[in-house]
Amino acid sequence: MDNVSVVEVGRPAVRRRTLSRYLSGHLKGGEYTWAVAFLVPYVAVFLTFVVYPIVYGVWMGSEGKLYRELFSDPIYQSSVVNTVLYLALGVNVKMFLALLLSGFFMRRGWWMKALLMIFILPWAVPQISTFISIHWMLNGEWGFLNNLLFKLFRIEGAYWLNDRWMALGAVIVSHIWKWTPFWTLILLAGRMAIPLEISDTAKVDGATGVRGFVHITFPLLANLYLICTLLSTIFLLGDFNTVYFISGGGPANSTHVLGTLGIRNAFDMAQPRLGVAAVMSALPLVIPLVIVLMRKLRTAEVQL
Amino acid sequence: MLRGSLALGTTSLLAPPRVARAAATTASMWFSQGFVQDEDVSLRKAVTEYQKQSGNTIELSITPFAPERQKIVAALTSGVVPDLIGFSNPNEILQIYGWQDRWVEVADVVETQKAQFSETALLGSQAYNSVVKKRLTYGVPLRAAIVPCHIWKSLVEKAGMKIEDIPKTWDAYFDFFKKVQDALRKQGERKVYGLGFQVTANGVDPYNLFMAFLVAYGGKDIVTKDGKLHLDDPKIKQAAIKAAAYLGGAYKDGYVPPSAINWNDADDNNAFHAKLMVMDVDGTLSTEVAIKEKRPEWYFNEIVTHGTPGYPNDNAGKPVPAIVNITNGLIPKGAKNVTVAKEFLKYFIQPKVLGEFIELGLGRWLPVMPALAKSPFWQNPKDPHLKGYVQQGLLGPTVPDYYVFNLAIAEVRNQHIFSTAMIDVAKDGVKPETAIEKAFKRIEDIFAKYPMA
Repeated sequence: MDNVSVVEVGRPAVRRRTLSRYLSGHLKGGEYTWAVAFLVPYVAVFLTFVVYPIVYGVWMGSEGKLYRELFSDPIYQSSVVNTVLYLALGVNVKMFLALLLSGFFMRRGWWMKALLMIFILPWAVPQISTFISIHWMLNGEWGFLNNLLFKLFRIEGAYWLNDRWMALGAVIVSHIWKWTPFWTLILLAGRMAIPLEISDTAKVDGATGVRGFVHITFPLLANLYLICTLLSTIFLLGDFNTVYFISGGGPANSTHVLGTLGIRNAFDMAQPRLGVAAVMSALPLVIPLVIVLMRKLRTAEVQL
Repeated sequence: MLRGSLALGTTSLLAPPRVARAAATTASMWFSQGFVQDEDVSLRKAVTEYQKQSGNTIELSITPFAPERQKIVAALTSGVVPDLIGFSNPNEILQIYGWQDRWVEVADVVETQKAQFSETALLGSQAYNSVVKKRLTYGVPLRAAIVPCHIWKSLVEKAGMKIEDIPKTWDAYFDFFKKVQDALRKQGERKVYGLGFQVTANGVDPYNLFMAFLVAYGGKDIVTKDGKLHLDDPKIKQAAIKAAAYLGGAYKDGYVPPSAINWNDADDNNAFHAKLMVMDVDGTLSTEVAIKEKRPEWYFNEIVTHGTPGYPNDNAGKPVPAIVNITNGLIPKGAKNVTVAKEFLKYFIQPKVLGEFIELGLGRWLPVMPALAKSPFWQNPKDPHLKGYVQQGLLGPTVPDYYVFNLAIAEVRNQHIFSTAMIDVAKDGVKPETAIEKAFKRIEDIFAKYPMA
């Protein structure tokens, strides 16, 4: 104690003051109380609906033996492969199409607006009913597609949902059909935000058509395109409806993705912890995606 | 014994329902939505009547079948439970959570009507508790389901055959529908199949189908009452191989709609109603009940259950026991009002109340008391379905589904082990012996997870 300086003795008081000032900022008296009152509901909602479910989920899926059981399940192994394919093809084909189509819809004219309205219909209609319709359309015996093929060309169509790769293909195509309009609109908005002076100047310099796209439009859209791709990947990783209503995870459980497998394990098998573990096993992919997304969103430079 | 219980049952049917007056209070009850609206109406009627007589309140929550299953699993996982789960959904939920010591014992409730229940129903109300290492009564049997055969009489006749022509023994019975298909194809019918076998890995239908064939081929003792598995018994193995060979072979030979490989539980009903196949082997009378009001001509004239011979005998001519799934009322541990939940169950299982509840539901579900099968409703000679259904599932030989003896079978079912064997044979041309060998190894692994004292 003898060796402790006056500065050291006084430090806790200094710290307390600093902390108090840090918490209250420049607010005084009643202002501070009001600030806390406004903050409390948000914090309560955040703790209840964000923190608690995440912590509970992590706790439910925290046992090592769950993952041993999961990894030894052949259905899980094929579900991981399906998830990767679903993400790789579903996201990239969709975003690339959206990029091209957003350029198409930049054209002028009333008919283009009418066409855009029709184009966004798949996204606007409720997804469950449309996916059930697609499931029925693809039925091998009495589905619309095969009946049409038979009536028009006397061809016996394939049993689209009886084979793993065809069924997974149907799921991916349905996802692309459903969500391309949405991302097209986002990218269209991005294109429309490019200042006219830039594109006009580029045109004067000879950057028209593909050259204009490669050197002007795409570089300006690149950041938006990347953010959309990351967001779409995160959305798709948790997708349940498309697989569940188009292929049902079949045939023989061969087209499950992690989202549907989690529900199957949790409720069909009445093993909720195993279900949570299936979904949690996607975290090594989700966390880096979220980090990259956050970094991109924080980019301070003026970019679209 | 049966006659005695029938006499007792008749007396109980005539007596007015008895209600014990627990302290006036409230209990919450979850129940699955019926396949037809009449089921819900009959449940509400029973609840209203109980409330009037007892002064208690039952907060009834009716949820569609699949979400209710999720609701129950979520409730038992989180610990926020209702006072009464009126419909064990899935049925094996009794055994799954019984294993974990999560139910309130209800032997005292069952005791009030013990003489009325079938032996299969009483077995189906029990579960092995791995904590106390005992088999205890956790369920109150309410109704039952079996897997009957649904047949388009009109398609059989269109093929130039008669329902009376259907043979009585197992293989011949199902082979008959292959002949119907062949005859219909010769008439130019492009898309009609003889057999609606659910050679799929979705839902509960494929397991029920496989087990019906397994039992018919002599595999009844695959799991015995003591919970022991008997895969090393050559008789069981042969029965499983035969079942995989017949079911997978019928698909491979083109007698089953190709899309059956990816059907869910409702798809076979829809396909049957679309006359895609001549016959379907599917649980409960939902196939018939669903169209009774809208298409009475189908119900009364065009569709028959089992046909003239009734549920087929085995290939040696002996009756085949029907595998019965019992729906139970359950009280979870943590329920706030166990007293009222038990009182309601005691009221509900009185033969008069339970019988009326099942009959108002159009007979989709079977009663669990043999005496109730003798009612004019079930024995109506003008109804082409009910008499054969109740004979198969209540008056004839029955066994409870095997998860009652060992919970591991529920996991075998939910992991679709037998379905995969069928599909291996049907789609990939795997030999039935190889497919069953693979299935048996997996089943042994699953059973190892559930050791019973």
